Amino acid sequence: MQKKMAYSFPDEVLEHVFSFIQSVKDRNAVSTVCKSWYEIERWCRRKVFIGNCYAVSPRMVINRFPEVRSIELKGKPHFADFNLVPDGWGGYVLPWIVEMAGAYPWLEEIRLKRMVVTDESLELIAKSFKNFKVLVLFSCEGFSTDGLAAIASGCKSLRELDLRESEVDDLSGHWLTHFPETCTSLVSLNISCLGSDEVSFSALERLVGRCPNLRSLRLNRAVTLDKIANILRSAPQLVDFGTGNYAAELRPDVLSNLVGAFSSCKELKSLSGFWDVVPAYLPALYSVCSRLTSLNLSYATIQSPEIIKLVSHCPSLQHLLVLDYIEDSGLEALASSCKDLQELRVFPSDPFGAELNVSLTEQGLVAVSLGCPKLQSVLYFCRRMTNAALVTIAQNCPNFTRFRLCIIEPKTADYLTLEPLDVGFGAIVEHCKDLKRLSLSGLLTDRVFEYIGTYAKKLEMLSVAFAGDSDLGLHHVLSGCESLRKLEIRDCPFGDKALLANAAKLETMRSLWMSSCTVSFGACKLLGQKMPRLNVEVIDEADPPDSRPESCPVDKLYVYRSVSGPRFDMPPFVWTMDEERKILH
Amino acid sequence: MEFQLGLALPTPNIIMGFDLNNHGLDHLKDIGGFSGKSKRSFEQAFGKFKQECKTKTLLLWSGQPNEEEDQKDQKKTTFSTIDENDAEEVDQVVGWPPIKTWRKKMFQQQHRVCRIENNRVAGKDNGRSIYVKVKMEGVAITRKVDLRLYHSYQTLTNSLITVFAKDKKCADDDYTRYILTYQDKEGDWLIAGDIPWQNFIRSVQRLKIVRNWS
Repeated sequence: MQKKMAYSFPDEVLEHVFSFIQSVKDRNAVSTVCKSWYEIERWCRRKVFIGNCYAVSPRMVINRFPEVRSIELKGKPHFADFNLVPDGWGGYVLPWIVEMAGAYPWLEEIRLKRMVVTDESLELIAKSFKNFKVLVLFSCEGFSTDGLAAIASGCKSLRELDLRESEVDDLSGHWLTHFPETCTSLVSLNISCLGSDEVSFSALERLVGRCPNLRSLRLNRAVTLDKIANILRSAPQLVDFGTGNYAAELRPDVLSNLVGAFSSCKELKSLSGFWDVVPAYLPALYSVCSRLTSLNLSYATIQSPEIIKLVSHCPSLQHLLVLDYIEDSGLEALASSCKDLQELRVFPSDPFGAELNVSLTEQGLVAVSLGCPKLQSVLYFCRRMTNAALVTIAQNCPNFTRFRLCIIEPKTADYLTLEPLDVGFGAIVEHCKDLKRLSLSGLLTDRVFEYIGTYAKKLEMLSVAFAGDSDLGLHHVLSGCESLRKLEIRDCPFGDKALLANAAKLETMRSLWMSSCTVSFGACKLLGQKMPRLNVEVIDEADPPDSRPESCPVDKLYVYRSVSGPRFDMPPFVWTMDEERKILH
Repeated sequence: MEFQLGLALPTPNIIMGFDLNNHGLDHLKDIGGFSGKSKRSFEQAFGKFKQECKTKTLLLWSGQPNEEEDQKDQKKTTFSTIDENDAEEVDQVVGWPPIKTWRKKMFQQQHRVCRIENNRVAGKDNGRSIYVKVKMEGVAITRKVDLRLYHSYQTLTNSLITVFAKDKKCADDDYTRYILTYQDKEGDWLIAGDIPWQNFIRSVQRLKIVRNWS
């Protein structure tokens, strides 16, 4: 009889097995099986994902995972995208770079989202990591083209430089000349966010010409249409291309040159850019359209007829980003041409306008839900909606994983029945059992939150604005949504009761944001005191919260779990509610 | 539509239409005084907007033909106004609608071009675009058209017919019974077609398609 199971796998074997497990979630699970697995796993972990840079300290990460090659960090809360987080709140990457410079000399990849990156950080990256390959700065800020020059000249085997949606202080277009002639390793270059009118185009052309593995190239607005043909001809292997300015006086020779250039790119599957489009140049794309899986027209101010013409040439389209100029008629055409559509994002062309300028209604979205059975991800800005439409959409698309609806005017009711849209969104969460992300809008009572708490069991992220009647709404969500990780709320009548009753829930989530709600300062202090593993931050740009009675609501509240305690890099308008009832500042 | 979640009927205190002065916002009104912050609370912003919007509606449409119909079309208020004193500033609640900052900047660039001085590119005619607003009687939607894309009244009219055809759902689809009118630099409304095309595009401020009753 065997009393002891002989696990005689040497560590190296286990390590080899673990190397096939790539996903972060699975790795985390592996490390919790037993002590020896934890030890083996931590030595061979190469990729770390940190969803909140303040949830853990750099030192803790380095101590646990000594051999990391790739790190991904996220900083500011999502609502920072909409100016709700004041400048200077935090999210600085420099402390991380400083620690990693010493501990991870072989670091290859850094991916950052919503972080403050300085030129100093970029220079340190260029100096410290000899094998550095990938830099992705998604919605970051705080750096200039000087920092980029350091990366270009310092990182000899750079493969990816992706600045998507970042705010760059554009001092000079000449940073591109800092890529040495020996740099031939680029696979991906995204400079679409750069504002400067003086991109050093000749340097760019030479760079593109000498990188035979370049697969993805996204230019910025400064690059004019006449330059595109040459770039494409020197990189016919491109899979993803972002044009610059797509406008010029119509000239047949320019057009035919462009037609030829696009048709030489046999691998092209994804297009974006298209600032200032002149419709007459769109036919140049037709040769690419049949293979196109992704099309971003969200900067293009072309009208519905032109969009329809283009889209009806793209039967393989899976991802479409477009302005509401597409209108209901364009969405109907999309529904009949693009049966493989998985993701649709419709942005408003005139969100602050006083006049209705396009005929885009709930009908367009209904049409797409009917015609595109693979639709999974929707972001839709419109001005009116009905429960009936939402119910239909939910029934047509039970496979939704992301559904974000923004009815532009807050608290807009069902325009036919004048009722709240509770039932409509209720249908979405009931039918779409795999829904991971949901954004609400329109007139909504506590009832919609009851539906969400009851049905949205896989929901991970919820965005709420101008909705609900009472704390009951918040309570439904916090007590019912088992998979909830991120909750962001603005301008809702949610206060202390629901928050304090569900304090424990907050430790199972990444973060909670509440602004312009009715959570009192006293409740924040209590939460901070009772929950030592939560950082409870109160943000108020006007006055310190303790200059008013405790019952007064706080302006903004950001709560997140952390194993490294309160942070110390807070600006004057952020206070952390510490467990010893001391307000840290 | 049949949709049963097996729950009771909605509670009686539902907001009807756009009246936002009750239903859960009272406490926000109360705390409005404490905040003293530079960015307005939702209640303050919206309350202020509703006042302004009434006067704005008259200002936008005064001096136009068929004023009554225009005001009817305007009954759906939106969440922002155009400050007549300063075309740059738009009165908004912070962070709403939820559009990323860089996208907002792009829209504002594109629309600033159209909002200066009666929706006309003022003095900055770089040969690229001349956007003017086009309104058709009986249609709620105001469109914008780039006059640089056309070289004659005929091409302009053909394009407008195409664009408005789907908007105008009426029994009488006889387009000879509509006239294209325009407002010139002096503010006068004239019938389009009398002056040479090049002169026309230099002086037109906005277009309106009206029914021809004669």
